[in-house]
Amino acid sequence: MNDIKLVNVTIDGVPLQVPKGERIIESARRAGIDIPYFCYHPRLSMENGANCRMCLVEMAMPRTGPDGTVTLARHPKPQTACSLPADEGMVVETETEAIVKARKGVLEFLLINHPLDCPVCDRGGECPLQNNTLHYGAGASRYIEAKRHYPKAYPLSEHVVLDRERCIQCARCTRFTQDISGDAQLDFLKRGADTHIGTFNAEAFSSLFSGNTIEICPVGALTSRDYRFQARPWDLATQKSICPECSNGCTIKLDHRDGRVLRVNGRINEAVNEEWTCDRGKFGLPSAISDERLTAPLLRDGDRFREVSWDVALGVVADKLKAAGKQSAVLAGPKLANEDLYALQALFHGGLGSNRSDYRMGARHSEVRDAAAKLFGPDPMPTGIAGLEASPWTLVVGADLAVEQPMLYLRLRKAWRFGKAKALEVIPSSAPANTHIGAFAWSSVRYADGGLAEALRSACAVLLAEMPGLTTSPEVIAWVAAGTSPADGIASRRMAAALSVGPGLILVGEDAFSGPDWRAGLVALGHLAALTGSMGSVNLLVSNCNDRGADALGFGDGQLATAGILAGAASGAVPALWIAGADPVTQYHDRPAAIAALEQASFLVVSDIRLTATARMADVVLPSCSVAERDGTFTNVEGRVQRFWKAFEPRGSASPDWLIASRLLQRLGKPSVWFGWRDVLEEVRSRVPAFGEVRFEELDKDGAMLVIQQVVD
Amino acid sequence: MAELQVLLQHRNVPGIDGIDVYESHGGYAGLRAALGKERQGVIDEVKASGLRGRGGAGFPTWIKWNGLPKSGPAQHYLLCNADEGEPGTFKDRELLLKLPHMVVEGMAIAAYATRSTNGFAYVRGEFVESAAQLRKAIDQAYRRGYLGRNILGHSDFCFDLHIHTGAGSYECGEETALMSSLMGERGQPRLKPPHGPLPVVSGVWGSPTLINNVETYACVPHILTHGGAWYAAMGTQRSPGTKIFSVSGHVARPGNYEVELGTPLTELIELAGGVVGGALKAVIPGGSSVPILPAEKCAGVTLDYEGCQAAGTMLGSGGFMVFNDKTDIVALMRRTAQFYAHESCGKCTPCREGTRWMSRVLDRITSGAGRMEDIDLLLSICDQIDGRSYCPLGDAASWPIRAGIRNFRHEFEHWVRHGSSPISGFVPPVRSHGPASVPGRQE
Amino acid sequence: MVAASAGRFSEAGLAQLTEIVSHYPDPGGAILPALWLAQREYGGWLPAEAIVEVAARLGRPASEIQGVASFYTMYNMQQRGRHHIEVCTCLTCGCLGAYEVIDELERILGIHLGQATADGEFSLTEAECLNYCEAATVVQVGERYFGGVNAENAADLIARLRGSEECTPVSLSNAIVEAIVPGYFASSAHG
Ligand SMILES: Cc1cc2nc3c(=O)[nH]c(=O)nc-3n(C[C@H](O)[C@H](O)[C@H](O)COP(=O)(O)O)c2cc1C
Ligand code: SF4
Ligand code: FES
Repeated sequence: MNDIKLVNVTIDGVPLQVPKGERIIESARRAGIDIPYFCYHPRLSMENGANCRMCLVEMAMPRTGPDGTVTLARHPKPQTACSLPADEGMVVETETEAIVKARKGVLEFLLINHPLDCPVCDRGGECPLQNNTLHYGAGASRYIEAKRHYPKAYPLSEHVVLDRERCIQCARCTRFTQDISGDAQLDFLKRGADTHIGTFNAEAFSSLFSGNTIEICPVGALTSRDYRFQARPWDLATQKSICPECSNGCTIKLDHRDGRVLRVNGRINEAVNEEWTCDRGKFGLPSAISDERLTAPLLRDGDRFREVSWDVALGVVADKLKAAGKQSAVLAGPKLANEDLYALQALFHGGLGSNRSDYRMGARHSEVRDAAAKLFGPDPMPTGIAGLEASPWTLVVGADLAVEQPMLYLRLRKAWRFGKAKALEVIPSSAPANTHIGAFAWSSVRYADGGLAEALRSACAVLLAEMPGLTTSPEVIAWVAAGTSPADGIASRRMAAALSVGPGLILVGEDAFSGPDWRAGLVALGHLAALTGSMGSVNLLVSNCNDRGADALGFGDGQLATAGILAGAASGAVPALWIAGADPVTQYHDRPAAIAALEQASFLVVSDIRLTATARMADVVLPSCSVAERDGTFTNVEGRVQRFWKAFEPRGSASPDWLIASRLLQRLGKPSVWFGWRDVLEEVRSRVPAFGEVRFEELDKDGAMLVIQQVVD
Repeated sequence: MAELQVLLQHRNVPGIDGIDVYESHGGYAGLRAALGKERQGVIDEVKASGLRGRGGAGFPTWIKWNGLPKSGPAQHYLLCNADEGEPGTFKDRELLLKLPHMVVEGMAIAAYATRSTNGFAYVRGEFVESAAQLRKAIDQAYRRGYLGRNILGHSDFCFDLHIHTGAGSYECGEETALMSSLMGERGQPRLKPPHGPLPVVSGVWGSPTLINNVETYACVPHILTHGGAWYAAMGTQRSPGTKIFSVSGHVARPGNYEVELGTPLTELIELAGGVVGGALKAVIPGGSSVPILPAEKCAGVTLDYEGCQAAGTMLGSGGFMVFNDKTDIVALMRRTAQFYAHESCGKCTPCREGTRWMSRVLDRITSGAGRMEDIDLLLSICDQIDGRSYCPLGDAASWPIRAGIRNFRHEFEHWVRHGSSPISGFVPPVRSHGPASVPGRQE
Repeated sequence: MVAASAGRFSEAGLAQLTEIVSHYPDPGGAILPALWLAQREYGGWLPAEAIVEVAARLGRPASEIQGVASFYTMYNMQQRGRHHIEVCTCLTCGCLGAYEVIDELERILGIHLGQATADGEFSLTEAECLNYCEAATVVQVGERYFGGVNAENAADLIARLRGSEECTPVSLSNAIVEAIVPGYFASSAHG
């Protein structure tokens, strides 16, 4: 990165050194000079930008005359600072009389057709158009002709509402769907003053990332159906948080009022989500944590539950756990924080002497992970999410990344868009014809049911044939030779060509190894990774919020896994079971087995934020807190530990799981030294080597990475 | 000064659109002459001719040609701007219709000089007949070995020429919008210096790209056949050569006239048979985008880039429109504003909103509901567009209106005061707002 | 390469599309010509299915194709009259009688600007400069320009057009495709 050339520019008389080619609007911002804008967005392409003309500045460049004298040549027209690349000697003025007039003119133009319905607009109070008009606009309009009219509040999708009258044609949303999400669902129609945005044939805007367009729209043209008319921005409080809806750990902002999350917005984090969110998190989270919440402990009373005090409830639970002792067990759910998981471990290991804990609900999940860990090591995403951009190729096996790992998908797409990476896809033939990655993949190899190993083998065969110098073992050569003819010759060939450049990244979806022949697939993947020098970069992606944290904490390393625990509950071998934030009745791969087991369990305590199907079967139900009502940390798919903040008080007497565990420890006569969640985190750091670098003080920034454990042979 | 026909000399020769007749009248001699030279020699010849682009801006042609990379991989594109849409201009249409080989030959010479391997003639969609003529010429040129591989046996010269038609958009004549349109996009302009690369550095599909007007290419065979010095001897020192003017309006013999640059404006009117239907009131010398000249300012004006500029207007594309004293200037400006509002691509705020606003204000004035302050409002809208739009269409929309008001303010005031035309008996058309409203189109 | 998909393109149309795509380094370049082809194959306009077919054959999003098609005035996003009459009313024509021609055409056809006759035979609209100003007033119908049209001969024009197979949106689109697609020799010369 040391080949960036610095140039000298002067903005409003301030001399600056900036990277050559940096857009002047950015240079100015760093010097504390604000240039107003609408269409500019640093993550969107310039090609369809520079259209609003709000950021006009005056510009001059030095010119050397024939006699060698250098004079400053003023450009006859004002230039858009958003697209103007800094160059040596450039002199920029942002507040001349001409510029002040130009801004007034642009604002007048933008408002002549604008409905000026700010009082009923969701954007009111946080609207760049309002704000810029206040700062730079003229007091009155001279427009007396009829305004442009379109239907108001047109539903673009179940989430997004469009008001074309408010649109200023800045092309931010269209560029978002073209540049960032890649689904290209929004585009402009017609031209001139009739230009407006739309989807093809007015079909639903079904992007997985549609919510981002609401955030980047600089006016109230795109608004959220859920949030519409819910609040004025100045009535909302905002808290920093982490989205718990998948394993990516997007940094978000929760906008809340009266103990309800009304809106989720992205929060800038270059390491993870840049500033984006996916619709699952953005629109799913508020309702997931707002509806039908538990507010007090419940105790079974025949067929019904009775509200009881914490004292009564914890008394019952403590008695049962104490009685079960080391035979007791715990199952943890996907959204428990690192602190919860650790405290539960402390309760069961330390307090009860039990070594029975797990968090996994998939069929072959633990088996596959164990085998993979042996082969590839336990934490192989050395590049991290951001590092995807630097990997020459990324091979995605058996996953629809856009759905399962939204931010990994956006990074991979970005890596491809800037020409730095090739996306390779190996997917079952049952996958939809147009996969998300398929739209830009260098190669898409499809395999029939059970054919993953063969598909990988044919790529290895091509690789070996084309690269005679490749060092490998006789074992691999024999394995390759034993292969049948390639399933998809051309695609394998293309894939091998990409793989041959050196190590890259391999991302494996949870479903890749769900079939009975998963071992062969895993072995094949191992050979392919070895051949390409990517052994340390194979990641078996986890999909739940804190699966990585649970894994690193050893929550799945007990002597009984989920299946064994459930079986024990049914047989009586597990006389007391705590299910914390999990719902095996709906999530376990073999649901009937889970239901049968829980029906027969002798004592079941469930802690959760809602009365789930599993909780309905419990003897005691304990209300716990959502991500918005407490502090804590999650560990995302790449092993990044990130902090979330309490936004408002818990409902009723709900309590985070770590605190419930702590109170139970007390009742067991083994009081902890935790006065707050920070104390738990501190203990995790000192006791669990993987968390050794997780310092509280650093969590506020980009989070902290787990220490990668070396494989011990 | 009379007509001086270089390009148009043989336009009425029967069969000149076919390759045999074209060759028998000296056709493709320019290409042969070019191939006898080094590539730089061809560029030098064009430099010596002083040829300036005929698409409107008058940019020296050789500088563009010289700007393409002279070594390295030669995936260069050569584009012919045949999107002629400037109101009042019809020279490119006639050149393609009657003398398509001259354009093909000029492009082949330019391709050789600039190491271009692929060419596209971007022909305006409405010019179906001209496109068909060009198709025929291209096919014939391929058969004779003037296009395709190893042209005229030259081992290092291959050039494929294709036709790409537009589909109804004036803005696509702007060179970067043309490139967008060629690449299959909405016809909107692209970044240019200082914001983005010059087309000759990175144009279509990221490759160096040369774009010239039809007439510009048509000049090239003559320059190569007779030499740059011969061409430069015509016209004026700074505006050498001849230029085709498309003369229309209130003249006896409208049509394309080729004259030396520097010819007095009034002579061109005479050439076209003089003003009919009344006395001369005004001239728009270079297409609708250039400022209108009232009759009293026409005397002494010479038709060359500098002469027009000195008179407060521009040579532009050579779309020379003559108006007699029965012409209502306000109605003319209203129609002009309607054109730009309809053709604005909509990308940038000033042009998208400003052109429609001007058009509406002028609608209102010519409906009799004008206010005195509307006249200054129009000038102010012009100021708010001019120089601030993404591409020059915004400028081109404001110049004529501003000049119309400056030169004929009394007519605007008359409209406002009386609610009717200063021209007795003139009733402005009460119309929809132009072609935007077409059958069946509803929202 | 032209992706196969269900659609209405004829064999000949597909062959022409394959040829056209070969002119461009990127299939995106073929969008405009492919829309011309589609307009011919779909009977003179571009219903949603035509957009979908072009999008599928060129591997582009349908939203983009619709955005492109709706930008240009010569792609018919709605069905037009069988003879779509466009009268230039721009500067020169406008000063030399174009509006009288429109008045007369409206009278003869019994429709207003922006409308189509009940039998679908004619539709009428204004055009921007057709750049044949020497022959003002100029009228475009399909692939043909008619110069020197005036209130007196407007009826003759209508009589000549009525029932004709020429000067329709289909014949226009076809003429353009034929100009784009090279003769056999040219295509083999660079094939
Ligand atoms: C709005 C607009 C429309 C234009 N239309 C045309 C046109 O129809 N034909 C043309 O040759 N140039 C047109 N131009 C000029 C081109 O941008 C460009 O300057 C020209 O093609 C360069 O060729 P030349 O150097 O041979 O003149 C237009 C420019 C603008 C701004
Ligand atoms: S000035 Fe702006 S809106 Fe007008 S044509 Fe150019 S880019 Fe489009
Ligand atoms: S921010 Fe620069 S033009 Fe819009």
